[in-house]
Amino acid sequence: MTTPEMARPTGRMRAARLVLVAVGVLGLGLGAYVMFDTVALRRLPGVVLWLGAAIVLHDAVISPLVFALGVLTRRAGHRVAGSIIVTVQAAIVVGSLMTLIVLPAVVAQGLEPKNPTILPLDYALNLGLFWLTLAVASVAVSAWFYLRTRRANQRPSRTQS
Amino acid sequence: MIAGPPDGDAVVEWTMRRLMYEARAQLASPVRNPRMATVIGRLLGIAFLLCFGTGLYSHFLQQPLPWMTFPTRPAGLYQVTQGTHIVAGIACFPLLLAKLYVVFPQLFQYPPVRSFANLLERASIALFVGAALVEITIGLLNTYQWYPFPFPFKQVHFALAFVIIGSLLVHIGVKLPLIAAHWRATPSAGPEERHPIDTVADARTVDPAAVPAEAAGEGLPRTRGLTGRVLSYIDATPAVPARTSRRGFLATVTLAVAAVVGLTAGQTFAPLDAVNIFGPRKKGVGQQGVPVNRTSAQAKVATAALSPAWVLTVAVGGTELSFTRAELTALPQTDVDLPIACVEGWSQMASWRGVRLRDLVDAAGGSPDADLRLISLEQRGGFKQTEMGNEYVRDPLTLVALELNGETLDLEHGYPARMIAPGRPGVLQTKWLSRIEAIDA
Repeated sequence: MTTPEMARPTGRMRAARLVLVAVGVLGLGLGAYVMFDTVALRRLPGVVLWLGAAIVLHDAVISPLVFALGVLTRRAGHRVAGSIIVTVQAAIVVGSLMTLIVLPAVVAQGLEPKNPTILPLDYALNLGLFWLTLAVASVAVSAWFYLRTRRANQRPSRTQS
Repeated sequence: MIAGPPDGDAVVEWTMRRLMYEARAQLASPVRNPRMATVIGRLLGIAFLLCFGTGLYSHFLQQPLPWMTFPTRPAGLYQVTQGTHIVAGIACFPLLLAKLYVVFPQLFQYPPVRSFANLLERASIALFVGAALVEITIGLLNTYQWYPFPFPFKQVHFALAFVIIGSLLVHIGVKLPLIAAHWRATPSAGPEERHPIDTVADARTVDPAAVPAEAAGEGLPRTRGLTGRVLSYIDATPAVPARTSRRGFLATVTLAVAAVVGLTAGQTFAPLDAVNIFGPRKKGVGQQGVPVNRTSAQAKVATAALSPAWVLTVAVGGTELSFTRAELTALPQTDVDLPIACVEGWSQMASWRGVRLRDLVDAAGGSPDADLRLISLEQRGGFKQTEMGNEYVRDPLTLVALELNGETLDLEHGYPARMIAPGRPGVLQTKWLSRIEAIDA
């Protein structure tokens, strides 16, 4: 990178980097040792598979979906203010994230938990209510942004004499 | 002859280079800059370190090294450390995804590998990302007691913690000059800070010499066909003003963290109980108002626990003493308020009544310095037999509990007698006690 103020590689900076990388490599080594020491060898391919799948799932599925969401919301909202587009995007992102976390709970609940005190709530219903709340809140915030923008536009400009 | 092998390679290389450039150009956003990466990265780093520290504490409570002793006060210490572990872990979902969003265009760097050091750095980042995503996912699933993965939870969760912290340190070490430069907000962003594609390496991607003749028009020519049409569509999409975009991003991350934490943390932090709509446990839900982790059916203890022949054997001195439940209730009783705090992050305050362990050990002629082994009626399971350090044995709050919240202990909570001690994880609060013995030093 070429940020101008970034340069000046001082001795302290070099030392700090060296220590960080060295301790980090030790940590990685310890992780590998613990992994081989405590996890049965035949289970390790499963670990590697999950690590790889997590990267693929993020880079090839989640990220393109988020990108598409950005493009489509900006397209759909090309006549409205940026703040309103961002409000709608925020609601969709927060809702999706919550769904990502709560959906496994809904599935696990369907698999009959081992006792009734595990997952005792109606997670599917609560998730629905959460989305509803997000929808109502984003409409309200958007309306506020809309009115604020319109009022600002109607006010006579001070620069005109 | 134009289409010889070298030219073919050049075309492939040029196409790759252009695709990578195109990807970064399309992904460029006012949000995707080193300053934002530093801001989100700091928060994520704090969350990782909180998880790591509290995780290690929980690990060593359960598997202490021989020389270790632990604080028994505050009595709710483990409730706080493990509650923090789960809360910080949940907060990692929005923070990690936000961090990956900010740096995503870096994935399309060209050439893919610049040097051996660069290869190592990219490999460590891949490991970092994969390990972090898997770690928080299996941690979340563990709180649901759902194990759809082909490996053991505890061991892999523990090993990956070191992988994550190790690669975090390597990552910080590699990026330190960039982090230092963007630690504080710059008053006015220079043009080179708009997005990460404005780098020296990227300037090469538009090197006209690298562009084959038929394409060397003004700027980059559009790919034909479907890709080209998709790219034109994206190009024609209006952009949101940079300031709105950045503020919106930060607001979204804040809101997401507040939502995932606020709507689940009530399972451990009482003030948030009213808005606990997504926590895997709910305060007050369970026999006698206390959630249960391992049931009597799972532990297969019902017959032995309900048998009139049950006695608690205390073997801490020269002779073994046996107490029936009636004999235990006849001893001086102590009332304590202590939380049950589970490794899975939930906790529940409760009132317990029973015999002080310290008094029981003294009455049986045990040494005041001995550590104890607690043996349950359970036939199998990792915690059928646990050890208790002397600091907990001598603590006046540690009871052999016989009553819970004013009633005879429910079978699911360890009838006829269970252990309850301050600041220990629930799995060590041995239920269905059968035998207490001194560990020979």
